[in-house]
Amino acid sequence: MKTILTVDDSSSIRQMVSFTLSEAGYNVIEASDGKDGLEKIKKASNVNLVITDLNMPNMDGIALIRKIRESPAHKFVPILMLTTESQNEKKMEGKQAGATGWIIKPFKPEQLVAVVKKVLP
Amino acid sequence: MIEELRQYLTFKLGEEVFALDVNQVREILDYIKITKVPQTPEYMCGVINLRGSVVPVIDMRLKFGLKKTEATVNTCIVVVEVNIESERTVLGALVDSVQEVFELEPGEIEAPPKIGTHLKTEFIKGMGKREEKFIIILDIDKIFSANELEILGSNAEINN
Amino acid sequence: MLDHLKEAFLEETRELLGQLEESLLELESDSSDEGLISKTFRILHTIKGSAGMFDYDEISRFTHDIENVFDLIRNGKIKADNHIITLTLRARDQIEKLLNNDGSSCSEETSEIVESFRKILLGFNEAGLPEKVKTCIVSEAVEESRTEDYLIKFKPSEGILKNGTNPLLLINELRDLGECYPCMLTNQIPPLETLEPEKCYLSWNIFLRTSRGIDSVKDVFIFVEDECELKVEVIEETGTPVGLNDCSREILDILSENSPNITRELKKLLSEKAKLPKTEKAALPANLKTEKCSDTGNAKSIKVGSEKLDYLVNLVGELVTVQARLSQISAQKNDPELILISEEVERLTCELRDNALNIRMVPIRSTFNRFKRLVRDLSQELGKKIDLFTEGEDTELDKNVIDKLNDPLVHLIRNSIDHGIEASDTRIACGKNETGSVTLSAGYAGSSVIIRITDDGAGLNREAIRKKAVEKGIITKESSLSDKELYNLIFAPGFSTAEKVSSISGRGVGMDVVKKTIESLRGNIEITSESGKGTTITLKLPLTLAIIEGLLVKISDEYFIIPLSAVEECIEMHRSEIQNENGMHLVKVRGELVPFIPLRERFNITGQSMEIEQVVITSNDGNKSSANSSKIGFVVDSVIGEHQTVIKSLGKFYKDADGFSGATILGDGTLALILDIPTLIKREEEMEKKLFQNR
Repeated sequence: MKTILTVDDSSSIRQMVSFTLSEAGYNVIEASDGKDGLEKIKKASNVNLVITDLNMPNMDGIALIRKIRESPAHKFVPILMLTTESQNEKKMEGKQAGATGWIIKPFKPEQLVAVVKKVLP
Repeated sequence: MIEELRQYLTFKLGEEVFALDVNQVREILDYIKITKVPQTPEYMCGVINLRGSVVPVIDMRLKFGLKKTEATVNTCIVVVEVNIESERTVLGALVDSVQEVFELEPGEIEAPPKIGTHLKTEFIKGMGKREEKFIIILDIDKIFSANELEILGSNAEINN
Repeated sequence: MLDHLKEAFLEETRELLGQLEESLLELESDSSDEGLISKTFRILHTIKGSAGMFDYDEISRFTHDIENVFDLIRNGKIKADNHIITLTLRARDQIEKLLNNDGSSCSEETSEIVESFRKILLGFNEAGLPEKVKTCIVSEAVEESRTEDYLIKFKPSEGILKNGTNPLLLINELRDLGECYPCMLTNQIPPLETLEPEKCYLSWNIFLRTSRGIDSVKDVFIFVEDECELKVEVIEETGTPVGLNDCSREILDILSENSPNITRELKKLLSEKAKLPKTEKAALPANLKTEKCSDTGNAKSIKVGSEKLDYLVNLVGELVTVQARLSQISAQKNDPELILISEEVERLTCELRDNALNIRMVPIRSTFNRFKRLVRDLSQELGKKIDLFTEGEDTELDKNVIDKLNDPLVHLIRNSIDHGIEASDTRIACGKNETGSVTLSAGYAGSSVIIRITDDGAGLNREAIRKKAVEKGIITKESSLSDKELYNLIFAPGFSTAEKVSSISGRGVGMDVVKKTIESLRGNIEITSESGKGTTITLKLPLTLAIIEGLLVKISDEYFIIPLSAVEECIEMHRSEIQNENGMHLVKVRGELVPFIPLRERFNITGQSMEIEQVVITSNDGNKSSANSSKIGFVVDSVIGEHQTVIKSLGKFYKDADGFSGATILGDGTLALILDIPTLIKREEEMEKKLFQNR
């Protein structure tokens, strides 16, 4: 089973992502901000995909992406960022930091699954 | 009003037999010690411990303008569920004895008579016919929502 | 959307709105605090984002413009001035309304607020309006266009792997669109000594036949647009399309040559090969791996409906009752083995009870925070400058207590601001700081929580209170009262010292209602005041409503519980000691005459009272140390001892039975009624007054 780490400070979005992906047969780990996410990815034995929000307290999504890419173990792990349409700049910044792709909020559960399938073998 | 075949529980107060819809009956208890809440009307007997819940008990005889219930071996507490101000409440009704459960077709239930009972008609769901006798089917939601003075017809009727 | 997810969204958004309000108010006092600004932005952003996800589109759209304004503030382009904060606070309230309306209904107020935000944005057009970006990456309803053949040339940049992109997945995705013949080109792979394993040297020529349209094809590469050379060409068809199975090898041959004329060659092939025999379809092996993961996600906290907790606490309550019974029986049986088990059950039950109750404890912070807004609005409305200080926000109370505490606190704070704090000019004239202060503090005191509301206003006016009380017939002109008794008069029903009824204090709830609410929480309220310096109102509340520390007493065969918080001491009373003055029952306690209530008589309990009775002395204001606290005794047959018990409501049917705050089930299953001491005393006073008047 593939493991996906979802990082979002909004618990309702986190729950929604987690619920949708669990239904789709993935194992989901939740983290409430970048810092938490970084700790969780380091602790978890194998994370196959990271889905992260960009605006978060403690450590934002961009910083999280950079940190994950710095770690040799997660150099190539796909990372999807959650953005809104008004954040084109952020999207570019995220890509430069090493994000694989993005999901634009708001999204429907089936869209989420489709995007996940796109980057997760 | 009453559309299908329903079951009714009959109980006695003095010589009079009353019935109520079994759907509202939770269980029937033998008489147990009732803890009186001081400074409350006499018809409110008090409260009992029903497996960890505090349940109030009402003396149906007093509620219907009869003399206070004297506990005998037949005395029972009928635990009913009623709607008081659209809230579900569990109550114990203290009665002289419980008789039986029987079924009635809707056709066997007639409208309450205007006179002849000392209860106001709005507290009666209907008159059920049982072995050539009429039994008053009570609307207990209404009965327990009203205070005792409202239930009884005018004094003249009681005296009759 | 599933209900529980929506429920979580609603709960979270309400919480966020609370935080939003708090940070806005803080921002008002320090508009340059960057941390606060980004926090505010983040909250708005989260609200917008999740509202959109949970079909609250109205909220999402509405919040969008506000978020943009805060983006400008965040980038230092505009300042978070009073206007913006007031507007945002209004918007916050509007979001709350929309939330309660299930997200629908666009009222005039919504559009008016949006207009105001747009106006702010207008001055900053360049940053304000979002750039147009593709809004949807996964086309939801794919329009069925006619089947077409495409040639896709895909050359990822060397560094594409570093972004976690797996190019093979993109190729696989193309397969899902239709018939796909990918050919990998390896001519760019350098000699081994210069090859860097983390770089991608591969490129692909792909033939695709699909009916999904060219946009679907391009969407496959949306994440890598900037990191590859991509060319998508349509191969014009002549005549009816041929089955591709027949010519797959040829297609792949053409693709692998990578000549500049691939398109033309493919076209030629397709037109020619219509009648050739079948060949095998080439396919890349599916890239399948199965992996196992052991770590499951553990969230730090979970949200639970409060009714579930109530249910848990009720169950624990029942367990406590059953356990008490077990203890009693095991003590009777005197079986060492049984006693051992019973003691173990007792220990576990105690722990379970404490834990269950603890779950319901929440910090008073959010309640306090709500008042920041109240104070701000009131001070603007009244034109008084007021600072609100809070202390001990981390003090925890049972959620049920906190919920019921809100209204009384609102009333007390309103009172402090409306009546307590003077107008600015008066304050300056008195030599005080122009800005008044109201301090809210909370803290523990034993098994109680003390909440204080202190203002530095004018203090209570003794004369005004006295005059009013005489007018209202609450006291007579001759009554001599201590300050404390005088102050307590403001809790009498219908009492109000305000000269004019303002929109703030005159809301039809008197201080008597406040006192009643606090007492219904088994707490008490006390007031102290110093003329010209201010007033302090102290609330003392139990930590929890579910369990009561009580004194178990007995009259005849009936058991009663007296809340321990009211009990001062117990004394024995011989018949001969009773002093009967003017029909009042009095007993001498260390030289002091204390009135008492004979409960047997009051409660109409049959039987003779004993030769020696017990008097439980209570003090009705809970302040045991105070010299002039009024003591009242309650006469019972015997005092059994302290008893920690779970409170059961007497229910709707006994709602009129004041004097009892509930019942509890004793170890042997008998019921004991819990006395409501303040109400019993009040009733006694009323009775005496009547007696007095009749004379």
